[in-house]
Amino acid sequence: MESVIISGLQQGLIYGFMALGVLLTFELLGFPDLSVEGTFPLGAAVTARAVVEGVDPLAAVFMGAVAGGIAGAATGIMHTKLKVNNILAGILTATAIYTVMLRTMGRPNTPLLAYDNVFGQVLGWFGQAESQASIILILAVIVMAARVLMGWFLSTDLGLAVRATGSNERMIRALGVSTDTTKMLALIISNFLVGLSGALACQAQGFADVGMGMGVLVAAIASVIIGQTLFGKSKLSIVLTGVILGSIVYRAVLATALRVGLPAEDFKMITAVLVLLALTLPNIALKGRVDSLMPGLLKGINGNNAKSGYRPESVADMGRQEVDR
Amino acid sequence: MIELQQITKLFFAGTPNEVKAIDNINFKAKRGHFVTIIGSNGAGKSTLLKAITGVVPVDSGSIKLEGTDVTNLPEHKRAREIGRIDQDPMASTAGEMTIEENLAMAYLRGQKRGLSCAVNRKRTERFAEVLKDLGLGLENRLEVPVGTLSGGQRQALALVMATIARPKLLLLDEHTAALDPKAAGLVMSITRRLVESHGLTTLMITHNMEQALKYGNRLIMMHRGKIILDISEEEKKKLSVPDLIAKFTASSGSAFNDDRVLLA
Repeated sequence: MESVIISGLQQGLIYGFMALGVLLTFELLGFPDLSVEGTFPLGAAVTARAVVEGVDPLAAVFMGAVAGGIAGAATGIMHTKLKVNNILAGILTATAIYTVMLRTMGRPNTPLLAYDNVFGQVLGWFGQAESQASIILILAVIVMAARVLMGWFLSTDLGLAVRATGSNERMIRALGVSTDTTKMLALIISNFLVGLSGALACQAQGFADVGMGMGVLVAAIASVIIGQTLFGKSKLSIVLTGVILGSIVYRAVLATALRVGLPAEDFKMITAVLVLLALTLPNIALKGRVDSLMPGLLKGINGNNAKSGYRPESVADMGRQEVDR
Repeated sequence: MIELQQITKLFFAGTPNEVKAIDNINFKAKRGHFVTIIGSNGAGKSTLLKAITGVVPVDSGSIKLEGTDVTNLPEHKRAREIGRIDQDPMASTAGEMTIEENLAMAYLRGQKRGLSCAVNRKRTERFAEVLKDLGLGLENRLEVPVGTLSGGQRQALALVMATIARPKLLLLDEHTAALDPKAAGLVMSITRRLVESHGLTTLMITHNMEQALKYGNRLIMMHRGKIILDISEEEKKKLSVPDLIAKFTASSGSAFNDDRVLLA
């Protein structure tokens, strides 16, 4: 049980950065950015090479994140300037990154256990020894910092323009915003976070591998969905914190599956089933039945979808003070 | 003031399906004029407004706004001076975002957006003030997502958003067409109030003949990409809906064929 919690927390926090990034593009910008399958291992590869070259681990992690952001910009340029379809632009970036990683590391895999890692470095500043608990504490602090920064950014004038690009692109263009710019910006921020996630992952596991990006996107989407299913999506602040908690829950479930003896080759199937359940269960099984017995009970969980908030039948009710949600 | 000189726009140019959506139109509206636009299906009314906003690039001709040539400016650069509302209540507001967030975005129409807090107290006070004038109680619901408002409330909010940054031109493309009569009447009265208090140059497309006669101080009628009738305020006052239909038939040589037109 204890190992499940530790593993869930550590992995969940590391992948929480990625979940935040994926939330920004997929959910808020409405841009299904597939480049993340490439920018995650790219962050790891760049960090690994830098560490091997003797760069300070903290600087190396930062370089990994910046590499992710640059790759995000590549996707953005392909989509906004060259008018490539958004999904294809992401696939092209992810494909090209494979070569970049091999060139960066010189081989498909770089072991890092012989080098100092960023956790030991940072803990050393505070005179702490490296332990599972202390690593989790550091991760929790920086993921919350990222969460707060993201929440702040999304409430600024620029952040509002980014969100509106996802919500109503035509409207925000009519208000004088270049949506090419907002899309570029969101892709850079998102892939910076994904690159950071990959960089921290390679530091925690002690190696970087060109294949470590496989399946990370579905894990991030699962985190977003689990977060929204468990904690609701009525407010942006809840959604932002929710995806990080969702990432922890997701990793804990995987760790539990491993613990009860499910073979590792079944993981991808478990992941797919988990995402499907998280997506559909609240809608079908729970909501349908519980609503018929106790109407309104599940509203906080899955009923308050602002996307479906427009109700043409209520046009006649103009001027009402209250909305019966 | 808006001035169009010899504007032409072809769709599917060079194919058998070629359509002259706008056919060499010259048009000028003085500052503060409220022009209503009517016309049959495919007359080019919406294309004309889209050409002015920059959504649709024109093939030839020039568009001047307050003396500045904007013909080749991209849509988002013209937006500073042009407020617009479409027929679809979903189109002019962002449903997932709150009323105050929508207003904050409109407040900075055409301006550079930076990293200052979008919703601050100074702004919310201003928002509450302008919303209060609508008389819909929206000023007490600033933090509510716009998606939970009714269509009429959304269009009323869209009107405030279109005018809060004082643009030079307001373009309304059948903005009450998706609303029921009661809501449409309310939105129209808000429209009139805002246009008059800001002295806004306004072009309003409508398929409602009575609305076209009742509001504004000039009426133009379009047919097959051309302006076939231009009726002044004095003349407009004397007209009834049947008069207008008769004028249309006489000028265009065909029957008025808008399947959605409201004659009553």
